[in-house]
Amino acid sequence: MRTTRRQFLALSGGALGTAALRLDAAPALAQNAPVKIGVLAAKAGVLAPVGESGLRGVQWATERVNAARGILGRRIELIVEEESSPKDTVERFRKLSLQDRVDAVSGAISTGVGLALGPVAEEMKTIWLSWDATTQKGVEETLPKPKYSFRSTDNECEAVMASLLTARHLKGKFRTVAGINPDYSYGRDNWAAFLAIMKKYGIELSVVSELWPKLGATDFTAHVAALGQARPDLIFSCFWAGDTPIFLKQAHAAGLTAKSKLVLTTGGGVHEALKKDFTPEGAILGYNCLYFDWARASALQKEFVRWHHEKFKEWPNYESDHGYFTIVAYKAAVERAARAAGGKWPAPDAIIQALEGIEAESLSGPRRFREDHIMEATFFQGMTTHKNAYDFVTIDPVETMTTKQIQKPSGVGLYDWINSWKV
Amino acid sequence: MQRILNLACGSFYALGAYTGVSAVTWALGHGLPAPLFLLVLVASGLALAVIGPPVERLLRAVYDRDESFQLLLTFALVLMFEDVMRFVWGTAPVQLGNAYLVYGRLAVAGSTVPVYNLVVIAAGGLVALGMGGLLTHTRFGRIVRATAENREMSAALGVDLRRVYARVFTLGVALGTVGGALVIPATAAVNEMAIDVVVEAFAVVVIGGLGSMRGAFVGSLIVGVLKAGAIATWPEVEMLAIYVVVIGVLVLRPAGLFAGAAP
Repeated sequence: MRTTRRQFLALSGGALGTAALRLDAAPALAQNAPVKIGVLAAKAGVLAPVGESGLRGVQWATERVNAARGILGRRIELIVEEESSPKDTVERFRKLSLQDRVDAVSGAISTGVGLALGPVAEEMKTIWLSWDATTQKGVEETLPKPKYSFRSTDNECEAVMASLLTARHLKGKFRTVAGINPDYSYGRDNWAAFLAIMKKYGIELSVVSELWPKLGATDFTAHVAALGQARPDLIFSCFWAGDTPIFLKQAHAAGLTAKSKLVLTTGGGVHEALKKDFTPEGAILGYNCLYFDWARASALQKEFVRWHHEKFKEWPNYESDHGYFTIVAYKAAVERAARAAGGKWPAPDAIIQALEGIEAESLSGPRRFREDHIMEATFFQGMTTHKNAYDFVTIDPVETMTTKQIQKPSGVGLYDWINSWKV
Repeated sequence: MQRILNLACGSFYALGAYTGVSAVTWALGHGLPAPLFLLVLVASGLALAVIGPPVERLLRAVYDRDESFQLLLTFALVLMFEDVMRFVWGTAPVQLGNAYLVYGRLAVAGSTVPVYNLVVIAAGGLVALGMGGLLTHTRFGRIVRATAENREMSAALGVDLRRVYARVFTLGVALGTVGGALVIPATAAVNEMAIDVVVEAFAVVVIGGLGSMRGAFVGSLIVGVLKAGAIATWPEVEMLAIYVVVIGVLVLRPAGLFAGAAP
């Protein structure tokens, strides 16, 4: 049967009417309806491994919360979307907010995406719990006091910790330095922080080479040749993706890793790819906020690491911890706000207020959101060793520092903070 | 020759790399002596060329259409192949054990060079010579050149265009897959490697001239040497240097350095 325009309009009107009725009916069902949490997880390109890792942390946290009666009796329902370009990710954030009517969004890794999401979260009045998209500079300038955005730890934490370890363990053992870092804000910020801290510690050095391969590069033979000519005593790099093993493999083949000490602030992001064949012992290696093989890890972390390895045949990296924390922090905040509201499901503003300063047990230990919406966590770094049962390097001893030591305090610029240190 | 802009050529390279890792790992696990891994890489790359004919069949839909259709279709293929790779090999970097240094290292003028790098350079030279020989000294080469020059005339003279297209495309796929397989001992296979290589490949063909084999050879040398030179002397201009040359070529000789010359 052919539908006339008039019939179509009547049908559409009816459908819209039904939709309106359903929306009207929603509040009555809210107490039993699931809590919807949107997830923005990168699944393609250079961000894919960490995106997947963050999603696993979120999913594991959700399974556990749901198995223990959810949040105030409501199950968590995840609506997973993809993090890709800033423009597309913003569209998906809007879709999660407007169409799926999520209670909060967890996720996003890229700084560029984070810069775009910050203002949109405020505009949509949707709580956004970032995994890693720290957006430091942009948010400082465009959103000095975000209400709905809760951000990760600072970009430079790894560089600050690695620099402190360099000063502690390698002072006096190097004079010429080279940097090879990905050519975007993370790479530039980390390298600048490293040089500032070396200066603060009175370490006289000369920079013999600064290389800026683009993020996602897969060949470093020319960079390795340039480093070979520069002959640095120490090479600093904040590579964190597939670039790390490729660079190390090519540097090893050219004999570079035997001549230069290495400081790899973030290589633990792809720790299983750092095979003993080409990754030397004695390099400073950072794992961000989760070290899978930590003997002193909590029972929670050990359980997660076991589950992760059994299910995915891989040892987890830090992004799982960022993801896990967003879910348990949200749950803790809702419960805290509900206590103040006599046990009823709290309003979004009350949840936001409760998130400020909330502390929760995460995989790597206790974590919290500062009052200015920045995460606090523990970071793990150490010297690489081949003495383990794996075919890749681990660290021994494992050194830990908290964001109280390696993250600038609220309202202070990074370099003002570094200059204020008493060393 | 098909006058098609194929972004998916980077995907063939990436697939060759991933398959190379799996094939060599399997072969070494079954007792293959380590120095023979190179043969397995080449064989796996060649075997993977079986995906050439079906992909070529798909591309026929856009042979005579606007470039934007070609770019859209081949970009869709890039995304689909990336999903296939993620599905089969996962998102973490995939790599071969220590095959890279099986042939040892050479000390040359104060630098250390893995012998494998020289093997790959030699392989590149052999492929260039082989392609040159194929195109200029064989009947198939003559047909390919004639078809590239004037497809209607070739068809009128009895050349089966479909077969020639399928064969040439498959040959191109094989070059991509073997290339990806050969490079894998020195690197790691990652999901984004298809995009990484295709951007530079386009700079190469723009400089050399679309459809010119000699142009591709010279273009790749120009891009490679420029890049290495920039990194050694002024790293900030690594990308800029390549694209300044691309712009220069587009302004002064829009069809590329070797446009119009014999392929």
